[in-house]
Amino acid sequence: MSQEQIDRLIKKEYAAGFVSNIESETLPPGLDENVIRFISGKKNEPEWMLEWRLKAYRAWLEMEEPEWAHVAYEKTDYQAVSYYSAPKSMADKPKSLDEVDPELLETYNKLGIPLHEQEMLAGVAVDAVFDSVSVATTFRSKLKEAGVIFCSISEAIQEYPELVKKYLGSVVPQKDNFFAALNSAVFSDGSFVYIPKGVRCPMELSTYFRINESNTGQFERTLIVADEGSHVSYLEGCTAPMRDENQLHAAVVELVALDNANIKYSTVQNWYPGDSEGKGGIYNFVTKRGIAHDHARISWTQVETGSAVTWKYPSCVLKGDHSVGEFYSVALTNNCQQADTGTKMIHLGKNTRSTIISKGISAGRSSNAYRGLVRMNPGAEGARNYTQCDSLLIGDTCAAHTFPYIESKNPSAIIEHEATTSKVSDDQLYLCQQRGIDVEKAVSMIVNGFCKEVFKELPMEFAVEAGKLLEVSLEGSVG
Amino acid sequence: MSDFVAATQALTIAEDWLTPLRERGRSCWQAWSLPTRKTEAWKYTSLSSVLKPDYRFDVSAPSNDVDAQWKIDDLDANVMVFVDGVFSARLSELDERELSVCRFSEADATQQALIESELNAHIDLEQQGFAALNTQTLGEGVLVHVAAAAQPDKALHIVWVSSSPEQATYCSARVLVVVESGAQAQVIEHYVGSPSAEVLTNSVTELVLRDNARLTYYRLHEEAGAANHIGGVHAVLGRAAHLDSFFLTFGSDLKRLDIVVHHRGEGGESYINGVYLPREKQHIDVHTSIEHAVPHCNSNETFRGIVADSARAVFNGRIHIHRDAQKTEAYLSNKNLLTSNKAEVDTKPELEIYADDVRCAHGATVAQLDKEAVHYLKTRGVSQEEALVMLSFGFINELFTDLSIPAVGNYARPKLAALFARESDLTRHLL
Amino acid sequence: MLTIDSLNAEVEDKAILKGLSLEVKPGEVHAIMGPNGAGKSTLGHVLSGREGYEVTGGRVDFHGKDLLDLETEERAREGLFLAFQYPVEIPGVSNMEFLKAAVDAVREHRGLEALDAVNFMKKAREACKAVNLKQDFLKRGVNEGFSGGEKKRNEIMQMMLLEPSLAILDETDSGLDIDALQVVADGVNALRSPERSFIVVTHYQRLLNYIEPDYVHVLADGRIVKSGDKSLALELEEKGYAWLEDEVNG
Repeated sequence: MSQEQIDRLIKKEYAAGFVSNIESETLPPGLDENVIRFISGKKNEPEWMLEWRLKAYRAWLEMEEPEWAHVAYEKTDYQAVSYYSAPKSMADKPKSLDEVDPELLETYNKLGIPLHEQEMLAGVAVDAVFDSVSVATTFRSKLKEAGVIFCSISEAIQEYPELVKKYLGSVVPQKDNFFAALNSAVFSDGSFVYIPKGVRCPMELSTYFRINESNTGQFERTLIVADEGSHVSYLEGCTAPMRDENQLHAAVVELVALDNANIKYSTVQNWYPGDSEGKGGIYNFVTKRGIAHDHARISWTQVETGSAVTWKYPSCVLKGDHSVGEFYSVALTNNCQQADTGTKMIHLGKNTRSTIISKGISAGRSSNAYRGLVRMNPGAEGARNYTQCDSLLIGDTCAAHTFPYIESKNPSAIIEHEATTSKVSDDQLYLCQQRGIDVEKAVSMIVNGFCKEVFKELPMEFAVEAGKLLEVSLEGSVG
Repeated sequence: MSDFVAATQALTIAEDWLTPLRERGRSCWQAWSLPTRKTEAWKYTSLSSVLKPDYRFDVSAPSNDVDAQWKIDDLDANVMVFVDGVFSARLSELDERELSVCRFSEADATQQALIESELNAHIDLEQQGFAALNTQTLGEGVLVHVAAAAQPDKALHIVWVSSSPEQATYCSARVLVVVESGAQAQVIEHYVGSPSAEVLTNSVTELVLRDNARLTYYRLHEEAGAANHIGGVHAVLGRAAHLDSFFLTFGSDLKRLDIVVHHRGEGGESYINGVYLPREKQHIDVHTSIEHAVPHCNSNETFRGIVADSARAVFNGRIHIHRDAQKTEAYLSNKNLLTSNKAEVDTKPELEIYADDVRCAHGATVAQLDKEAVHYLKTRGVSQEEALVMLSFGFINELFTDLSIPAVGNYARPKLAALFARESDLTRHLL
Repeated sequence: MLTIDSLNAEVEDKAILKGLSLEVKPGEVHAIMGPNGAGKSTLGHVLSGREGYEVTGGRVDFHGKDLLDLETEERAREGLFLAFQYPVEIPGVSNMEFLKAAVDAVREHRGLEALDAVNFMKKAREACKAVNLKQDFLKRGVNEGFSGGEKKRNEIMQMMLLEPSLAILDETDSGLDIDALQVVADGVNALRSPERSFIVVTHYQRLLNYIEPDYVHVLADGRIVKSGDKSLALELEEKGYAWLEDEVNG
């Protein structure tokens, strides 16, 4: 494929890069205890919540931002970020979707996430988070019938304080890491899910995150509690406008799967990756972790195509006997993107099982690293892990890395790790071309084939979207 | 640990033609910060138990109190023996006519020039603190210089023995092997010690393979007791050079080995294989790094370990493909068996890849012996105990069957079998 | 020689054998046939004492001893041999080391002197030849890189060296071409004697053309549902297993 073709394809536009013209109430940049009190006050939070935040903030002040080998980026000036931004129209809580600012609804429409009742995605309940607040949650009454709670975390703090108190920070403690501490201090909104005992959630739950305002950070917090024997599948999507500056996204997601519960968490992350010169883009520093109790299963599936820098390790603490952790990931980097992503599987219980399938695709001048940890603690009798990490390189200016940490303290545990690298070969392209398939399509086919094992874990609607997204993010980067 | 550093700083630098090298070693060592648990390369290995201030650094006369065996039967070799870092003519068997080997202290002007230009030429002393310390404390060293197209008849067997000195002793061991174009050589570096030795050996071995050179380099670590070791092996391969290397480690409280192979010429090929067998409370840490800086080279690495009792094994295998190293093929396999509830293994196979047209793969496993295989042996009447011994031995024996110097395999096998079997009867079908 | 009395066994908490009884006298050849999933392979593994195969009822008498009370290797030394359907590969342990360890253990148990290396080699070579395996197979890892047919022949070779009183052949015919089948059958037939018995487990009648059974039993749903002479095998070949199930469920 010619350099010209490559260049043409790489220049594809980021489709979600528009800015919505919405009047916002945005806090001036800067962070101190007053900002935290402001956020907490704005949300009318109880005193315990404010204290919880302040405790995290004080811990954060003592912490240092981590340094990572192989990731280079300009550090965020935390005093130059605004920690709260909300559409003005949301100030007096709209009671129904009819009261929501039409411009907001239009934004989600353009992103393919219709929130209007008549147009809603069939079978998917959506919580839409715009900058710092949740603007709408669909299908709430239907979920309520099943006993499922699906609302913004702000509402949950008001309405289900006991649940929030019990589980918030129980998986990712406030001091867990630099970004988790920051999130705990300033998180503005996010989703809360509670599935009661024995309930199979009647539909897919989904949160759609959108950063719109400039110079803001997004710090959402998601908490999903699946009570004994319950099942839930949860989807998360993210986009942001194209802006020249780097914006920070430091989310925390906590999953609690009680005995025999099953949580499936899928992400299609398409934050603005910056332009082809590496200017702008989102810093995506996310802490995601789940605890699986006896016979519970937590499955993470992610398709990561966006962000300038991604630092993300959705993890499973396999605490209960016979619990299962899964991680299926496609991470695609192009241009100047850097991704350092993977998972941690901490096996504590007996006969715990984990599976890791990671597919990294590097193109342009990007760098894509898998970093993972599999740990078998002394109690992990009969535990098993299987890990497969494959990298696909497109062009000779990108980089692909694999850093799997494997630690075993139990002789009856079995760990198997395999990693390979390959390229989209000239022979493969030639064969496709000879059969009449153009190069773009051929590359897309090969990459989709490479990712098939992961895509098949995604819920149907997402799988299609993920395939298309990959095509757009990637097109033409073959040499 | 800082007392150890202070003790090394107080050492006087010996005065001879190597002094400038030593001075450079000293400045790098002093500038280096000792690793902590947060230092990635030392994440699983603490040096606090071995970096002690009360080592004796100035061993000058060889001790006669040597309680160790090193003879490899059926190996046609020149043997050089060093006791606590000091050459022992009495214990060595060196053919007078052998011109390719000399000690640094005997080096003539040409050899001195070679040492000056090659020593540390491929080691980043600022990053490799212990290599810097080794250079600072450089005493006796071995130069192996095989002339272009030469093929010495005999292998060279270099033995470093730890005696049982009254005081804990620090020794440095240094070997420089230069195989000129088209030449071939076989070098066996062998570390042994009496079980009562209390020694810290800091070794650096450099292997320079010029274009079309072939080197077989085997390194056997069978020090016992508190004969601890921090060692580095740095190989550089020119065009179409071939390195066949093997590393066997077992026996003492702590061993750390850093193996770095640089492919600097196209068409080079390297084999880096090894076995680590810590038991009791021993700790063995092997770090390897294969640097593919140029296109069209192949590297093949296989390490296996059996970790018993309360022992711990650390393995870190890095494959680094530089930007222009197209058409590289690099493979790494690391398999581990844990045989006790208190044993631990920490392994990290790493790929760092900056070129697209390459074939790289690594695999790592941690498990216990295959239950199916144990069962199969039992259905044939073999006892559980003997089955475990046979299978443990088989697990590592696979790596010994392909050794190009069979005498080394024959030497090692009984020692290995004995490691797995509490009763010698259980090994009778293996030897 | 072998008396199985209402044997019940489970694998992973699932009942597989449900009251199986069988009597094998010295010198007899019994064929056990049956549909897939009937428990044919389970029988062999239960008799050889494989981990994970739990006996929940019944008893097995072997040469007057309670077989189920013995360790796997003790059963082997008592003369019970199982030719595996899927022999495991053991890289790094040579066939020779493996065979010598096995033969020594069995001979020692029988109060025989250990064979010296020369005599053992001689026997091993003869056995190799008898099953048409090249002698360098002795130097290779156990079953390592062997083809399916080579693995099966290796099983028969082990049987020849260990001289069991009862050999159970677990679908030894599966995956073999006619030539390999002939070699395996010749090996078995050469070992037939008034003291030695065989249980031949197979899904197909084909093998029984080569190894002629004295009795044929049909195993279905964990029990023997019908027994007969070799003509039963032909009947099964012709009609399949379905008619039997109908007959049994009646």
